[in-house]
Parts: sequence; structure tokens; C-alpha cells
Amino acid sequence: MPGSVHSQDQDQSMMDAEQQVEQVPQEVTLDEKQIVVLPGATETAASFQFEGEGHTMGNALRYAIMKNPAVEFCGYTIPHPSDPKMNVRIQTTDSTTALEALEKGFNDLMDLCDVVTEKFTAARDQFNEESGNRMEA
Amino acid sequence: MAPLVPSQEELQRRRIIGINPETVTNIPSTDFPGHWPGESHEWALDTFKNGFQVEFHRNDRFESSFSLIGLDAAVANAFRRILMAEIPTIAIEDCFIHNNTSVIQDEVLASRLGLIPLKGSVEGINWMHWVKKESDDEPGSGACDFNTIVLRLDVECYKNEYADKDEQDPRKLYTNAHVYAKDLMFHPVGRQEDFFVGDGAIAPVNPDILIAKLRPGQKIEMELHCVKGIGADHAKFSPVATASYRLLPDIKIERPIIGEDARKFAKCFPKGVIGLEPVTAAEAARSGSGYEGHAGEQKAVVKDAFKDTVSRECLRYDEFQGKVKLGRVRDHFIFNVESTGQFESDVLFLEAVKVLKFKCARWKRGLTDLMA
Amino acid sequence: MSREAYQVPSMGAQTAFDTQGGYGSAMNVDSPSVVYLCGECSARVPLKRGDQIRCKDCGHRVLYKERTKRMVQFQAR
Repeated sequence: MPGSVHSQDQDQSMMDAEQQVEQVPQEVTLDEKQIVVLPGATETAASFQFEGEGHTMGNALRYAIMKNPAVEFCGYTIPHPSDPKMNVRIQTTDSTTALEALEKGFNDLMDLCDVVTEKFTAARDQFNEESGNRMEA
Repeated sequence: MAPLVPSQEELQRRRIIGINPETVTNIPSTDFPGHWPGESHEWALDTFKNGFQVEFHRNDRFESSFSLIGLDAAVANAFRRILMAEIPTIAIEDCFIHNNTSVIQDEVLASRLGLIPLKGSVEGINWMHWVKKESDDEPGSGACDFNTIVLRLDVECYKNEYADKDEQDPRKLYTNAHVYAKDLMFHPVGRQEDFFVGDGAIAPVNPDILIAKLRPGQKIEMELHCVKGIGADHAKFSPVATASYRLLPDIKIERPIIGEDARKFAKCFPKGVIGLEPVTAAEAARSGSGYEGHAGEQKAVVKDAFKDTVSRECLRYDEFQGKVKLGRVRDHFIFNVESTGQFESDVLFLEAVKVLKFKCARWKRGLTDLMA
Repeated sequence: MSREAYQVPSMGAQTAFDTQGGYGSAMNVDSPSVVYLCGECSARVPLKRGDQIRCKDCGHRVLYKERTKRMVQFQAR
């Protein structure tokens, strides 16, 4: 029935409008810097805007998040080079949420840092000891 | 279903970035879930821990070289970028010029002074706070003992009465004809006297940096305020002179290169990369090896690919066509970190890792607020 | 003050640079002297209004102003 198709269309657009009202950017203050969830976010697909970050954090974080099998897509961009802002886009499967994937990304990256510190210190101490011995000999 | 585990050869093949005369191949990392059907590649701390290695090549006070193996370029690059731009150091920021009758202009003198690397007690530098810049809405934090270090530069040039009559050298003819970094005098205030004492006093790393040249009657009198800053704000705050990495070169000789060709091949590379070895009788006896009938002749072998610069010179000659394959190891980063002298080079790298972790922790904290 | 209202200061018929006139120099006694630097020998040359612009040591006619006594602040960037 053509009428019912029509009314469904209207329903659809009504829902969109309601969602947009809810999608006022949420802001979290953090040492004057903020994470903003960009409009259009759903549970499993969201874009996060990081203020004052660049490729340093962006690419490393992208790598960590992409290592998560529940993540379908992750990418980062710096929308404008003179704006100190970095956007991360995360889309996940239904088993998790974009926010959880982001948090896991941070956790994994921090674990990685611990391993790097530990192994670096060990390798350096060993090297210093060996080269010290060589100098004495 | 247990995930497929690729063979060792396959993994080795994936690790190599191909280098051709004009192009590179196999560039992006593929160790992500979903890239290779059936394989996992999920982040696992144990897997990373087992695969990750650090090898030191050199560890001088202000220059070190080491390899990080088993890391993705995204992370290695983050460390490099943090080394250059996000580790705080102390540098001259404000110049209060009371007198400057030298030929060098005030603003030029100020920018020269800013670029002088300073050293001092690491403990003291870590104790120091940021100085908050005055903005339209808020007043600045003002200069205090915990955020500003005061240096003074007071020099006046005059004639040296005892100089030889025929003396031509202005440095002997006059006193203070040259102003050097060592003429910067540290004036500790408040608690700085506890931190920056003895060898820990704030001073230029290199005392012989020429700041200005004077002639008799000329005078420089200024007060300099040093603050904490990061390289992203201005290069003078960067703690490193160079922080770079290169990927370990990989050379594969796929078909024998023998005799005169082998010597020519070795010349295509820096010294020590390619060695010459005699073809053994066993090799010559094996049919299909390409060494048949060449027993005792010299063959080219890869001795130390680490020293190679990957100039691709060997790819220009017809005689080596199809015999050699050049590449780089995707996850073997040879770092070179040279400090400007404020911190030790190995400490700098550890500091970079700490900064990355700290940034993660900070953003994560902001995330919990977002979830609530 | 409008441009038309401005009056060029003058001492009667004489110009400020005229040192020939008798009462011109008499007026200079209490006027403040400004120190200049000789462009040739770098000597300090105190000049008063109406003085001849000339170094007292070497007779050079190019004189420079001294650097300001005020503190000047620059950012080291």
C-alpha cells in the first residue's frame, strides 16, 4: 500500500530529527583540553575529537584500536592543519561500543609503553655493563 | 576454530619492504585482525612482549643508538615525534635589554640567545613548573623561583693596555672583543639555590658559542629569563639535536655473484656490507646451485646489512639483474638520539615513552567522564 | 591641534641654527644639552639648541643619537 510506505518514510525522518536534538556535542574538561563526541554518533560508531593532539597520538592510537578484532573500522584525521584538533573515527561490531574500543586502545597503548620501558632499561643496563667491562679489560 | 598460524617463511616475507630501482613495495603493515583470512593478529600483551626486543649499539652520554625490534611504525614514530616536540626543557624566553651598543640588533641578539642550549641539575629542571602566559582573559602566573631562571649578560669591551703595538688580533687587542655563552651568569633565586648548586648550576652546555662581537666602548647589559617549554612551541625547547630512525636494510643474494662481478658488487655498497668468500668444493659439486665449476673462486656474501645505506647502486647494473633483492625490515627501527645536553640520551627515550603513557592516561581519565 | 594652528617655533627673525646672532647664544645658556656621538671618532658631543652640528674633537659633521636609556624587552623567538 503506497500510503503505508509514505508514513514509514515520515517516521524515519522524525527519528532522525529527534536523534539530532540529543546529539549536542558532549564535552569533558580535562586540563583545559576536551574530548568531544562529534554529532551523528551511535553506540557502535562514533567520531571523537581530541583537542591539542596530532599525528603522534593519532596514529599510535589508531594502530592500537585497529588491533582489536571487534573494531570494524578505525581511522584518524587532522581536519585542518592550523586547527590543533584530531578526529578519531571508530566503528565496531555489536559486541562492543566505540567508547569501549577507544578505552581499550588507551589501555593497550599504556601496556605497550610499560613493556618498552622495561625492555629498554634492561637492554641498556646490560649494554652499559658489557661495555664497562670491555673498557676495564 | 583455532586461528591459522602463518608459516615462518610467510611471516618473514611479510616483514620485508621491497626496494626496487624506482619504487617500493609491500609498504603498509598488515598485522591487523581481519586482514589475513583465518589469522588472529589481535592485540596480546604476551605476544608483543615475546616479539619485542631492544638492542643497543652505542650509549654515550649525549648520543645513543639502539634498535627497537617488533614494533609498528605508528608507535616508533610516536616516540620519535615526542622526543623532538614534547619533552620539556629550559631555554631563554624573555630578554630585558638594559643596554646594547653592539652592532648586533636587539631582536637578533635575543633570538640568538634563545637558541643556546642550557644545562643544569636534572632534578631541578624536573622540579620547575610551567610559566603561564598572560592572556586577554587571565593574568599570567608571573615570574617565581619555581618557573623562571634568571641569567645576566653584562659585558663591556675596552682596550687592552698591555697588548703588543703590532697586534692585529682583536681578541688580544681588546678585552671582551668576543662575547661567548660562558659570559652568561646564573643568578639563583629562592629555592633554586638548593637545586642548582655546584655542577648542577644552570649554564650553557657549550661555553664557546659566540654570541656577539664588540669593539672598545660597546656594551651589552641584559637580564634573561629562562622558562620551561616544549619543542612543539619553539625548536629552542627541543631536547634533541637529532632523533631519527631508519629501518634495518635487508640484502638477499638470490643467485651466485662470482669472481670479478663479486668484487664489483661489493663496491656498490659501503665498506663491510658485502664480503668475499671462496666457493667451497661442496657448493661447486651441488648441481643447480650455480656454483658448478667455480670452486675456489670468490663469491659475494652479505656480511653486515646494518651498515648499508640502501643507495640501490647495485640495481643499476645489468650483471646483477635478478641476482639481488634489496629490502628493509618493517619492524626493525634503528634509532639515533642525540641530546642537546640537558638530559642524557637514553633517559630522553625513556622520558618519551613516559610522555606517551601519560598522554594516554590523561585522555583515558577524560573518557570516564564521557561514559558517565 | 590642527595643522593650521601649529606655529613653527622661531626666535624672532633668526633660525634655530643661526649662531651668528648675539642674543641667540645668550638664550642657549639655560637650554638643556643633549649628548650625541660622533660618526667619525665616537666621541661624546654635548649639544645645546643652536649649537653648530660638529664634533668638538675631530670636526666631523655627522652625529648620531645615543641609544635609549630605557629597558627594551624582546622575546627570544
